[in-house]
Order: sequence, then structure tokens, then C-alpha cells
Amino acid sequence: MLINNGFNEDKIQSPLRYIWSIFKSKSIAVVAMWVILFLIFVSLFAAWLVPHSPLLQDPEKMLLPPYWVDGGSIDHVLGTDDLGRDTLSRLFHGVQYTLGGALLITLFVSIIGMTIGAGAALTKGIKASILHHLLDALLAIPSLLSALILITFFGPSYVNCLLAIALSLLPQFIRASYIAIEQELNKQYIIALQLDGAAKTRLFRYGILPNILEPTITILNRLFTMAIIEIATLGFLGFGAQLPQTELGSLIANNMELIYLSPWLVAFPGLTIFVIIIIVNVFAEGLRHAVIEGEE
Amino acid sequence: MLSFLVRRLNLLVITAFILSILAFAIDRTIMVHHQTQPALQQDYVLQYLSYLWHILSGDFGLSALDQQPLLQRGLTFFASTLELCLVALVFSCIIAIPLGLLAGLFRNTALDYGIMTIAIIGLALPVFWVGVMAVLLPSVWGDILPVDGNMSLVYDVPLVTGFLLIDTLFVTAQYGLFAFFDRVAHLILPASVLSFFLIAEIVRLTRHSMTMVMRSNYIQTAYAKGFSRTKIVFKHALNNALPPIIPQLRLQLSTILSFAMTIEIVFNLNGIGTWLFNSLKTGDYHALPAGMLIITGFILMFSIAIEIAMVIISPIRRGSLYANK
Repeated sequence: MLINNGFNEDKIQSPLRYIWSIFKSKSIAVVAMWVILFLIFVSLFAAWLVPHSPLLQDPEKMLLPPYWVDGGSIDHVLGTDDLGRDTLSRLFHGVQYTLGGALLITLFVSIIGMTIGAGAALTKGIKASILHHLLDALLAIPSLLSALILITFFGPSYVNCLLAIALSLLPQFIRASYIAIEQELNKQYIIALQLDGAAKTRLFRYGILPNILEPTITILNRLFTMAIIEIATLGFLGFGAQLPQTELGSLIANNMELIYLSPWLVAFPGLTIFVIIIIVNVFAEGLRHAVIEGEE
Repeated sequence: MLSFLVRRLNLLVITAFILSILAFAIDRTIMVHHQTQPALQQDYVLQYLSYLWHILSGDFGLSALDQQPLLQRGLTFFASTLELCLVALVFSCIIAIPLGLLAGLFRNTALDYGIMTIAIIGLALPVFWVGVMAVLLPSVWGDILPVDGNMSLVYDVPLVTGFLLIDTLFVTAQYGLFAFFDRVAHLILPASVLSFFLIAEIVRLTRHSMTMVMRSNYIQTAYAKGFSRTKIVFKHALNNALPPIIPQLRLQLSTILSFAMTIEIVFNLNGIGTWLFNSLKTGDYHALPAGMLIITGFILMFSIAIEIAMVIISPIRRGSLYANK
């Protein structure tokens, strides 16, 4: 923890700074972080970055392969679909819907879920018990099924799909954060804090929150992965993003019948989802290792 | 033991009660939204009690499409989903547990990194996309594996257990073992696509569990006694590393089922996922609460069964039996 800053003064870094300095030494994770930042940048500004409009049709150039294959054109780097729409532009917009939606879900679910989880772990008696049974019941419903149920009520649309996925992932997150906090509560320093007379909020903010960083990263990573997969799955089944919207899953579904003419159209969206999840997992894994090393 | 059983069954009853209320709420909301039946009397408590009575006597209502009882249809389809899950589970356990144990034993070596890379790739591949790609494969490699539904239509297999792998064995007098092999051939691709995710999950769990065990004090003691590494791993570590995986895997059961449902839709298998999907597409919304009750009922029963089995298998879990809180 001690570093020498050249003036013969020993300065103690804050724990977060220390973790950051360890994280910076893990080159793969740092690369992953930059790629994530790039993807977020793409999903924010997709409309200004793409070379063509994702809905612009071009009857002259239909079903072009990617430019490195014979017959491809550099104007459409990843080729075009059956209406001559540029694949790269559609992928950028797909990333906007899929990654942006997953980030929103992760933010929303983590704030609400952490609050409820902490509330359940820090209170005892009838409130916690009711929540426990309710969670047990909700956890028994597979998330795809509860998303289907909610979409039957609200009707299929992209926003409803995000809402349904957030609600179906919420019980899992509450349970996971509850378990993490519960494990921390049994430790000696929490009891010392309680004996000191710390209120529940103070106990949570200064006693528990700094010490559950590592399980939280794991839970958040899992939440994000599941959110992306479910958005794409619902889009694929036709319950998510509707037609003019180019969500990655619905791109795959729309191009299914073209799979023999141009397999690229199905391969690229799937690979994009795959790459997003891999990158996020590598980043989260690097961060988790940095936290573990920092705590030791 | 008896008090433990009573306590577990008590929890089961409460959870089942909450789920039945949910199913009732879904059922009534569908009725109001889609006007499938004229409104009954307005007292919701009485309506709920009659709904509960119908469910308990096994009457889930009739399908609006073909006037078949929903419960029988649902259970038949669910049996084929379970068959897919079980085959995939067995398949992935055979591959994943040795890999996970190796990764846990040789932690932070090239072998460990290699195995964990495979695991992360398995987790990151979107299941339905792999399914679509796998449907494409036979057309590239020639007709090796069929991708058209549960089994070929030439075989007429009567419904006995719902598990087609077993049912086909009952008709050996008629078709010999051909029906069975046909079913196996139809099951290979969906099951291996499903096991992508399962392998990733089991490798992760096994590796974690093995690492925890190898760090524990009794393994250090065994080393200090001078036992060989092989003896320690096989005699001391394995016994303690494998049981904790089972309850962890149980928590993933609903995720596994939801992946299985997606795979069924992609491969056009007759499972509960396809059934619900087609019912929703054609407007037969009453299949939804019935399907939910069947799936959640199975998950609840299975969880309790696993918990009781764990108490019998693992002495650590038995501690909760004697605790007087």
C-alpha cells in the first residue's frame, strides 16, 4: 500500500486508487476496457458514425459479400442484405439497441435490486420473511417465461421487452446481493461497528459496501450477460424490437431465410453479441482479480 | 429428520400458494384483456378458491385451439423438454467435471487458463444463434444428423411415459431399435447446443469448489502427513468438492430450462417452449398460466428433492438438522 513519491514522504493510497493501479497492470483487461468504451461510444453516436443509413435500400447492390471476399465492395465493408442495406450500419444500430438496452437494464436492476437486497438483509422478522418467500416463488419462474408473460400483457415492443427482462432478472439479483450482504454481516468488524452504535444506513455505506466489491462485480457481470442474451433472444423470437428497429437478435431472425444465399448476414450479428459478451467478461474478470489482489 | 421434512414442506406450501395466486392473476388478466370468457361473479376470493379447486383436481381448462385438456398436453410437452435437459446434463457432466477438476487442481497454469477460456466462450455464445448455425451444419456436411422435430414421422410411437427415449423402447416389436436410434439422432444436435452453456457453468462451479477444498486445512494436514498427491486428490478432495456443486446447479435450473425452451423453438422440437410460443402466437393465452404452473411446480418439487437428497448425501448439510435456533 505504501508508495514513495520521490520526496521521501510515505503516502497511503485510497483503496480504490490502489485497485485501479493493479488493474492498470493487467494489459488484456485494459484493452477490454477501451473496447467497451468504444462500443458504448458507438451505441451512443451510431447515427452519426455509420457510412449509410441503416434503412437505405440500394437495388444495385443486393446481397454483397464482405469486401475481402470476391465480389465485395469497399463501400459496404461487411456487405449488404437482400434489400441492399449496409450490414455494418445495421450492426452499429443493433449494438445501440442491444448493448444500450443491456446497460440500462443493468443500471436499473442493480440500483433497485441492491436497495431491496440490503433492506432484506438488514431487517429481520416478518418483512424479511415475506420478501424471502416472494423471492422463492419468483425465482422458480424461468426468466424467458416471465418475460413472455409480461409481454403478453403489455404487447410486444422494444421498451416492453426491456421492462420485462428487467423485472425477470430482478429476483435473481436481489437474491445474489442478499447472500453477499448476509455473508458480510456475520463478520467481526460489522459487529464492532454495530456495537459502536452505527445506524443501518451507515453500517451499509461504510461497513458493508466497500467489502462486497468482489461479489458485486461477479453479480453485475452475470446480470449484464443475461440481459444481453435475453434481449437478443426475445428479439429473435419476435417479442422484442419490432421491424424497423435493427436489434441484433431480430436481425438474425429476419435474415434466417437468406442463410443459404449469404450466411454472412446471420453470422455477423451473432458474432457481435459473442464479442460484446466476451469483452465484458474479460474486463469484469480483470477487475475482479484486481479487487482480490488489492484486498489481500 | 421429521421436523426438517415438515419445515421444508411448509416452505413448499407457502411458495406454491404464492405461485397459484400469480397464476390466478395471470388467468384473470388474460380474461379481462382478451375477453375470452364472459365475466363471472365479481368476488375475487371466491373465484380464486374455485380456481384453486380446479387446479388441485387437475383441471387446467381446455386449449382454445384443439379443445385438448391443457394439463395433459403441457405435461407431455414438458416431458420432452426434460428429456432434452437430462441428456444435455449427462453429456455436459461427463465433459465438464473432469475439466473443472483439472482447472481447480492446476490453478493459474496454462491448462487452467485454457479451460477457463473454453468456459467463457461457452457462456458468451448466444444459444439461439448457435442453434441456427447448427441447423445450417447438416446441409453443409451432408445429411448426417436430422434437424426436423422430435423424431421422424414414419414411426408411430404410442404415448406411455412422455419420454420418447423410453417410449421408443416399448415398440421394439414393431420397429426394432430403429425408432430408438432415430430419436437419439434427433436429440444429438439440440442436446449438444444446450450443453455449451451447461459445460461452461459446471466447469466454473467445479473449479471454484475444487480450489476451495484444496486450500482448506485438512488438505494441508494430509500433505503434512506425507500422503501422495494422487491419494489426497482421490481420497480426500473429491468427496468434499463434488457435493456442493449440486445445490449450485439447482439454482441454475430455471436458466437451463429457459435456454432449453429457446433451443426447442429454434430446432422446432415439440417441447413446452414451442408449445407456449405457438399458443401465444395463435392467441391461445390460457396455455400461459398452465405452462407456468407446470414448470414452476416441477422446479419446486425438484428443489425440495435435491435438498433432501443433499441432507442424506452430505454430512455438512446435516448440521441444519440438529441446529436449535
